[in-house]
Amino acid sequence: MASIPTRFDVIVVGAGPAGSAAAYLLAKKGFSVLLVERGKGLGDKNMFGGKVYAQPIREVWPELDKEAPIHRWVTKERISMVDGEKVFTVEYRTEKKVSFVTYLTQLTQWMIKKAEGAGALLASEVTVEEILMKDNKVVGIRSGPDVIEADAVIDAEGINRLLLERLGLVKKLDPDTVGLGVKEVLKVGESNIESRFGLDKKEGLAWAIVGDVTKGIPGGGFIYTNKDTVSMGLVLHLSKKLIDEGSFESHVSSLIEGFRLHPYFKPYWKDAIISEYGGHLTITDAIKFAPSKFAYPGLLIAGDAAGLLLSLGYTFRGVDYAVYSGKLAADAIEYARNNGGVSYENLQVYDDYIRKSFMYEEIMRHRGAITLMNSFELMSRYPKLLTKVMEKMFEADYKHEVIYNSLIQALKEEGISPFNLISQAFMMVKGI
Amino acid sequence: MSQSKGEEKPIKLEDILQSDVWDVDEDPHIIVDSEKCLECPTKPCIYLCPAGCYVKAGERVIFSYEGCVECGTCRVVCPMDAVKWNYPKSGKGILYRFA
Repeated sequence: MASIPTRFDVIVVGAGPAGSAAAYLLAKKGFSVLLVERGKGLGDKNMFGGKVYAQPIREVWPELDKEAPIHRWVTKERISMVDGEKVFTVEYRTEKKVSFVTYLTQLTQWMIKKAEGAGALLASEVTVEEILMKDNKVVGIRSGPDVIEADAVIDAEGINRLLLERLGLVKKLDPDTVGLGVKEVLKVGESNIESRFGLDKKEGLAWAIVGDVTKGIPGGGFIYTNKDTVSMGLVLHLSKKLIDEGSFESHVSSLIEGFRLHPYFKPYWKDAIISEYGGHLTITDAIKFAPSKFAYPGLLIAGDAAGLLLSLGYTFRGVDYAVYSGKLAADAIEYARNNGGVSYENLQVYDDYIRKSFMYEEIMRHRGAITLMNSFELMSRYPKLLTKVMEKMFEADYKHEVIYNSLIQALKEEGISPFNLISQAFMMVKGI
Repeated sequence: MSQSKGEEKPIKLEDILQSDVWDVDEDPHIIVDSEKCLECPTKPCIYLCPAGCYVKAGERVIFSYEGCVECGTCRVVCPMDAVKWNYPKSGKGILYRFA
């Protein structure tokens, strides 16, 4: 880093969606900004499930729809409940451009170029080792022997918060708050995707799967149609209890392979080879995961590092939350500048901005979803129950059961009382 | 690439990993205290590291960092606190292209 200046108005750590958005807006507002990224090629350390909600990102980049590398707009949302080879699926279709599928590597690349275009300086291949403190205030960063100073540092380091841990601001990641996402990208081909999933050009599908694809581990499966590939994978909720009990008994790659070869799903990617395989942690309990404050003297925390991810089981929002928190960080630093400087008193507005934002409100409002998604009932018993009801309705050689009796019989077989079903179904609808 | 078209059997992890690209660092970014692994009753890393960097050999755990996908799972699930985990330096490590 010898050739770059040693002082900036703002240093942003991590050129993911949060960091790039913050760097872009700050540069546009006239701040000198250094955007530091550990990866070599733009975006090559980014990994996610596959779907991005557009509207909060349009607040930063109104040109998103026209310019961004969007593979397909999600026009079909599917939810499946799986019990062995039995599957129960619901589908919703729309034409509104609410969310899209893409490679995060490509989308982030686009965002970083926007930040650079606005005047932010990108330092890639730089792994920040330390956020520097002086007199209880963050004053800069260190990578190897190189020190760079700034009035404010935005920590957008992602879910593995090594820097915040080293500062003592957060504890080591608690397994109860995160899940492991594993993903295969399958080269299905553009026309195969459209014919097999029933999609038109530029139309995409997002699919959430619950049931025994995770072999009893809380979590679920996902499928997203990219331009000419399909991203599919599993999220496994890690928990201290499961770890201590030794509940993980087969390798995650065999779970994902089991899902890939499931008779209901495999025709969608018939003959496709694997283009890429990866893993990434995701936030499952955003409230427990969040740092106690989002703003500290000289430091703002954004994106995954701030725990800003909404996980509802049937849909997930991380990228737009990251971008939006980057925007709020930039707003807070601008507020500070306009009100006498980057003092802690001024930077604290960021904490307020986050807590009053739609993101935080959504996370709080849906906090019941966390308990439900970790519950054996939702993940295992209900998929079983629903597929059983279907089985009784459809699988008849002569006599079809009336739906009411199908349900009562299925409940009896699964040992669920009708009262429990109603109260839990109510909780579920209320919580999620 | 050793995957064949229309394969109906699960593909072995080592073959799945053939699809990925790394710029491998000479120095490991993860250090594992293998003495602690000997005492570990559950060894969750063996099942949960998506890249299979942790392999069981009797009561031992053999670790290699080269195929790491940088998810951080091993560090989170290790019950023995045996994993010293850092991100690779100088742009090294996994290079995602379609993620």
